[in-house]
Amino acid sequence: MSRVIDILYRPRGRFAANHVGAHTSSEVGGFGVFRDQAPFMRYPDARRIDVRATLRDPFGATYVRRFEQRTAIDVCALVDLSASMGFVGAADRFRVAVELCAALAYSATRVGDRFGLFAFEHAMIEGASLPATRSRRAALAAVERLSAETPHGSSAKGVLAAAAALGATRRLVFLISDFRWSEGLIEQALDALALHDVAPLVLVDSAEVAPPKWGLLQLRDSESGRRRLLLMRPALQRRWIEAEQARRRSLARLASLRSRAPIYIRDALNPVDLSIRLTAA
Amino acid sequence: MNALGFDHIEALLLAPLALIPFLRSPLRDTTLPSLLSAPADDLSVLVGNILKLSGVFAIGASLLGAAGPHISGAEVERFAEGAQIVMLIDRSGSMNETFAGRTPFGGEESKAAAAKRILKRFVEARGHDLVGVAAFSTAPMLVTPISDHIEATKAAIDAIDRPGLDYTNIARGLAMALSMFKTSEANLSRAVLLISDGAGVIDPKMRDDLKAEFRKTNVSLYWLFLRTEGSSGISGQPSGDDESPQAAPERHLDLFFKSLGVPYRAFEVESAEETEEALRQIDKLERPPVRYVERLPRKDLSALAFALALIATAILVAAKLAQVGLDAKGGAL
Repeated sequence: MSRVIDILYRPRGRFAANHVGAHTSSEVGGFGVFRDQAPFMRYPDARRIDVRATLRDPFGATYVRRFEQRTAIDVCALVDLSASMGFVGAADRFRVAVELCAALAYSATRVGDRFGLFAFEHAMIEGASLPATRSRRAALAAVERLSAETPHGSSAKGVLAAAAALGATRRLVFLISDFRWSEGLIEQALDALALHDVAPLVLVDSAEVAPPKWGLLQLRDSESGRRRLLLMRPALQRRWIEAEQARRRSLARLASLRSRAPIYIRDALNPVDLSIRLTAA
Repeated sequence: MNALGFDHIEALLLAPLALIPFLRSPLRDTTLPSLLSAPADDLSVLVGNILKLSGVFAIGASLLGAAGPHISGAEVERFAEGAQIVMLIDRSGSMNETFAGRTPFGGEESKAAAAKRILKRFVEARGHDLVGVAAFSTAPMLVTPISDHIEATKAAIDAIDRPGLDYTNIARGLAMALSMFKTSEANLSRAVLLISDGAGVIDPKMRDDLKAEFRKTNVSLYWLFLRTEGSSGISGQPSGDDESPQAAPERHLDLFFKSLGVPYRAFEVESAEETEEALRQIDKLERPPVRYVERLPRKDLSALAFALALIATAILVAAKLAQVGLDAKGGAL
């Protein structure tokens, strides 16, 4: 993590928190953007009596101004460690994932948010997980532990356990995976995370979406180890690309009702582009 | 008979290796995050199976070839109707002349050409004969051994009207013709058909040898004497007292043949028509059944096995050359 990458993000929806921070929330407080007026008896803050509203009231009730409390939120990264994440094509997919986690850990703790890390394969990997913490040192240490792992899981079912470990408080969740999952698992995972503000970050590689036009291709599945021989030809290349497009449509459709739209990260992390997508309303 | 055999059967102990292609592919793996992204394809499955079978055949057929398979040779007994006939044909220079003793001119036919035409018809008519061909001029030459392959015999007869040369050394020709018969088949009907247009003197020593040989092999002798117009015949008495073999070699040869003690007939012909007539008579005389043994050669099958292995290997090499991997160039998404 030699270079410092800052990623900007904006949570969607109302987050309840006790800590004052950088994000809008449903909490009311004495500073920030004006929210509404409340009777003094309901919100007895004598320092913020709204004199004009009090005088205007025909019944002589006293009013107090209320402001939106800006709060800190919890940012969690859920990292898929199934074997497909170890794919090395145009880029080392797992390195990109680690780099992304390090950037999120740095960015979250910089603005006072807490950062949590949950790695999973067919179950959760406790060794590379971290409950949400405000400590930047602890967060970056967790990312270091993550980078020492090797993706070799044979499935990604642990995402459900990781979702359960997040707890019942709304959090901003970055689901970092290549989403080479079955459609059912994607649906289950997004359902389990529906409570949270979920941003699916999809890692794709140029190599897997650019099949050759001609030749014999002996493919090996990184997770199951099964092999398949393909006699590549233009028709099959077209089918391959169409299947890939169909997968993206399916992922977008599943995400549309349950989370943010999936964000594709191709080959390398582009922090500016990612920030624009994460701060979009 | 026709049994399949192997020279080195121990090579087949390695035959289980031929199953390896079912376990491993010859192509290098390209790891893909998930096969879900690769579409299923029937043609590819077919190609995959062909490659597996090619691997099996490449290993299996090589081992089979190394084992040296063959169909062992056998002796086949065959039956033919007719006789074993050796045609002993004069190739001396005078055979190139016509019956009139001239160089052929215009439509005229030389003695050799006439003999060729008539002998071929004779061979064709007697399809079951075993015929061998020998020729002689100064030295004898074996043209084809005794066999029932009519095509080979006809080809040999075709060659007799090539220009002949040199003299008529009849004794050595007869010795060769006799040597072509196998002594073990003495019970068969056998004949030497001597076709010549002249006679030579046989020296006394050769006379005794030939006589003994004829007695031993028990061969009938037919002499088809193509007489040139004006020359002395077989039966013609010499004009004077000169009775030496040098003066009338034909007559003395005839006398010698008669003294051999084997069935003998001489046909003195002065034209192509008479030649045909003489052969018709011989045809009538020689018609008993013949039993003979033909050896079938051993048939080597390893070349076939290696050819199969070569084809299979060529398919595998082609597949290897067509192998590609994934790379990141371009990309449609």
